Amino acid sequence: MISSKFVATFALGSIALLTFGAAPATAQSHVNSPDPLLGAPSVNTEESHIGTLTGHAEEGKHLYRRYCIGCHGPDGDGNGMNAQWIDPKPRDFTEATFKCRSTPTGTLPTDQDLYNAITRGFINTNMPSWKPLTEQQRADLVAFIKTWSPRWAKEKPGDVLVIPAEPPVTIESILHGRELFQKLECWKCHGPAGHGDGPSAATLTDSKDNPIRPYNFSTGTRFKCGATNQDIYRIFMTGVDGTPMPSFHDTLTGNDPWDLVHFLRTLQISYPSKELDLWQGYVASHGKDIKPIGPDSAAGAQ
Amino acid sequence: MRLTHFSAAALAAIACTSMVMFATPKPPAGGGTVTGKVTYTGTPAKMKPIDMSKEPTCAKQHATPVMTQNVTTGPGNTLQWVVVYISAGDQGSTAPSQAVKYEQKGCEYLPHVLPLQVSQQLQIFNDDQTSHNIHPLAKVNPEWNKSQPAGSPPIDTKYEKAEFIPVKCNIHPWMHGYFVVLNTSHYSVTGEDGSFSLTGLPPGKYTLTAWQEQYGTQTQEVTIAGNESKSVNFSFKALPY
Amino acid sequence: MPSLRPETSRLLNRSRLTGLAIFTLVVLAMLFADAKPAQALPTGKAFAIPAFARKYGLPCSACHTAWPELNNFGQVFRDNGYQLMNDRDSPIWQNPSYFPISFRITPSWHREAADHQVIDAPDGCFGTSLANPCLSVAGKVTQSGFDLSGMDLWSAGTLYKNISFVLLPSSDPTAVWHFESAFIRFDNLKNSPWFNVKFGRFELDNLISEKRFLFLSNNGGIYQIYHFNTPGSSNNFGYGDNQIGVELAGHNANSYTRYSVAVVSSNEGGVNFTTDVVPGAPPANRSYDVNLAFSQAFDAKSLGFERIGAFAYIGQRPTYFETTDGGTVPLVGLGNKSFYRVGFAGDLYIHNLELLPLFMYGHDNAYLGTATSSQGALPSGAQAPTFYGGFIESHYYLNPQNVILGRFEKINVGQQALSGNPGNFGNVTAYSVGYRWYPIMFSRAGVALDGEYSRVKSIGIVPESGDGTGNIPLFPTDGVWSSSIYFGIDFDF
Repeated sequence: MISSKFVATFALGSIALLTFGAAPATAQSHVNSPDPLLGAPSVNTEESHIGTLTGHAEEGKHLYRRYCIGCHGPDGDGNGMNAQWIDPKPRDFTEATFKCRSTPTGTLPTDQDLYNAITRGFINTNMPSWKPLTEQQRADLVAFIKTWSPRWAKEKPGDVLVIPAEPPVTIESILHGRELFQKLECWKCHGPAGHGDGPSAATLTDSKDNPIRPYNFSTGTRFKCGATNQDIYRIFMTGVDGTPMPSFHDTLTGNDPWDLVHFLRTLQISYPSKELDLWQGYVASHGKDIKPIGPDSAAGAQ
Repeated sequence: MRLTHFSAAALAAIACTSMVMFATPKPPAGGGTVTGKVTYTGTPAKMKPIDMSKEPTCAKQHATPVMTQNVTTGPGNTLQWVVVYISAGDQGSTAPSQAVKYEQKGCEYLPHVLPLQVSQQLQIFNDDQTSHNIHPLAKVNPEWNKSQPAGSPPIDTKYEKAEFIPVKCNIHPWMHGYFVVLNTSHYSVTGEDGSFSLTGLPPGKYTLTAWQEQYGTQTQEVTIAGNESKSVNFSFKALPY
Repeated sequence: MPSLRPETSRLLNRSRLTGLAIFTLVVLAMLFADAKPAQALPTGKAFAIPAFARKYGLPCSACHTAWPELNNFGQVFRDNGYQLMNDRDSPIWQNPSYFPISFRITPSWHREAADHQVIDAPDGCFGTSLANPCLSVAGKVTQSGFDLSGMDLWSAGTLYKNISFVLLPSSDPTAVWHFESAFIRFDNLKNSPWFNVKFGRFELDNLISEKRFLFLSNNGGIYQIYHFNTPGSSNNFGYGDNQIGVELAGHNANSYTRYSVAVVSSNEGGVNFTTDVVPGAPPANRSYDVNLAFSQAFDAKSLGFERIGAFAYIGQRPTYFETTDGGTVPLVGLGNKSFYRVGFAGDLYIHNLELLPLFMYGHDNAYLGTATSSQGALPSGAQAPTFYGGFIESHYYLNPQNVILGRFEKINVGQQALSGNPGNFGNVTAYSVGYRWYPIMFSRAGVALDGEYSRVKSIGIVPESGDGTGNIPLFPTDGVWSSSIYFGIDFDF
């Protein structure tokens, strides 16, 4: 039914077109010309390693220009032309300070950390999830981002936080987590009920002196650095660098971090979890024994 | 003679209830000495009382309100908390083995300005009955931020690059201090009387820098021959804001 | 217009020089190329929404390979109901001075030529005047000059989390307005990306969008097969035309897998129960058409992102009308006969080379194909017409601001509506090349310079190009060559 002449013509036309397209492709496949919009060094040999993928900065540069430059800027310093209208401000890559790390506070994150951040995006910010990009493209971007600071050439990422297996969620674990929340004074910023309205909340600024809000557990479902219990564990153990949120790695030992994780879940009243169920059951039966969190509370005194 | 100089008056002024021993770089035997005073001209902004009522365990440690310290003046227009150091001409020296100590007490940083050397051990204590987070806002060095609840052991750290690092506690936003990380062992912090003293300087030509957290830096050249003592004074122009 | 930061403008200049050099070459090449018919500009062609770029601070290139064509990030954004899904999409997060409106218009210079046109000879003849009678002969008509496109006035945004809208009043160059697109979307029903509903007038879920493509000239500015019907057909369906109805669509989290089911009125997107968006069109039908689309994308590692998909449209059109006033005033379509279009398409990347292949097969009922009332008898030799064909389009991205375009199209009529027709009656062949340079590609405005050369050959009929005001050739065996040279400045702000 479909004539062979048609097939032949179509094939010929396609070949002509491919040749037309492929000619510049051959000539330009390794475009090494300095990218006109970018102030970065013209040749980047930085690599990233994500699992079996190797990202290349030279490729990432073109992707950065396509996707990132509007906010993070031609110089990678977070001063893109739209940065002034954005809150929270875009990351300044020249400082190599990153919020979401599996490594200790003050150290460089791993390639995987950066890859995860690009893939996940940052909830409640203008940074979307770049999962629609291919894995290779995201790996290339990670490699390129590392060219903005000389720290990457001189330092190695810190040691990755080892997260032990999660113990069972019990009311004891939640109660202990609640004591920690009181004792570590999480509530000073996050508020006694996790509404992000603690006494210091209004004064908080990030490391660039821009006002910043503590996380409001009651309306949030996801966190800036992930959504799982492991992510919560990692967030407070490594800290959110560049923000007022410190690392609790030197402070919490044993199962303490997991207890805190379990308690924090109970503050997420709009996010169903077994921790929340258990806690609400406990409040129903033991409500009168629960001391409120806040100044002069005995909640942390045990 | 001590290189880091803290007068008793200065300590009293910051309402410190326990003496803190600051590590003191050992002066080489002999050498020249540079002493002087740091003063201001004009009218500096008035320091304001700090309201610590949101942290009662700290507030009750202070009979009178603690004042902000970013421009601390003394009688005779002197300036306290100015770091005077050799910024050029020093042949370099390795960091002393003693750690410098930095205290959080009564929701204040003691001392307000802490000079230390590159690679020198720094110990940070929390003597308060409350949690602090110690957040040095380094730009050249890595920026970190750690929680230090009441009763925690000291945090041990060091800095590998020279930098003026503002230190803050995000939980207690009034807490401000500085780590002044220097490449030289010749430095001094002015006391309430604005005086400083650098000793043990080998003969040579030096650049002397005075740094004040609000007014920035000033430099002067000084040449030392033998064991002579020289006097160098700095004067900052105060700004009324 | 935001002020350029010094380094940006400095760096931009280099791109400007390169762009200008290539652009000049392309334009010159087209001016010297053989050229030939004359039609007005198409309107309402493209979807590029700086309103969204402004809202989120992203550069055009974040969502568009080259605007208005979407890349996968833009596709995911659209599939999520114009949301980045960061809980910052709702209007409450926007600066109150943000206003979701953008404008697009394209002033141009173009030259249109068509041969084998029926023209009067000799020049200056006067009807049937004995002194100077007119004879119909085949000739070539060429026109050229400066021109203006229609204007798009875009508004699109999020009304609330998971509720968004698009409103696109579009004018022709004489400022006659219609609603090119107007719909509301409800997304992530049941908290699932697999259930999203769109209601209103919209483009079908084409893997290769004609509303978002990069060609603007009369002949190159359409996909021939998206508007093709066999000669003599009464079917007015065009796969590229916006339809009016409701669409259920879904996708996985990164939109690699996508499906859609649309139910639309059998009236070619017409409003007011007519078959068009402007007054005076024939009355509409009372039936419904269905469009199905499915596509799957693959992460082809270093090659890039590859998507393939299939589609099917099943529809009906009336063959006569219920009338009033002695058969003079048509009221509503009757005697529906069916047709369908099926095909597959792809969006394939080989590094910076993007290939867009599409194949389509079309089948019309014989009554539609011969424009015969289903109450009457079919003409002798009538049979259900079919056609098949497609195109392959290539985009080579020198960088996000410079793109070289090419397209080859071929449509063959498989079975003629009348068995006596020449076998190639209606066949179409088309070639287009172009170059687009985006000297300004910020979040607040975009400007593209567009140069094209396009050439369409159709046998015995006028090419489906431009507004279709050309004439039928003298003989159904004649091949009509219609060509466009086009140079336009496409701006969007």
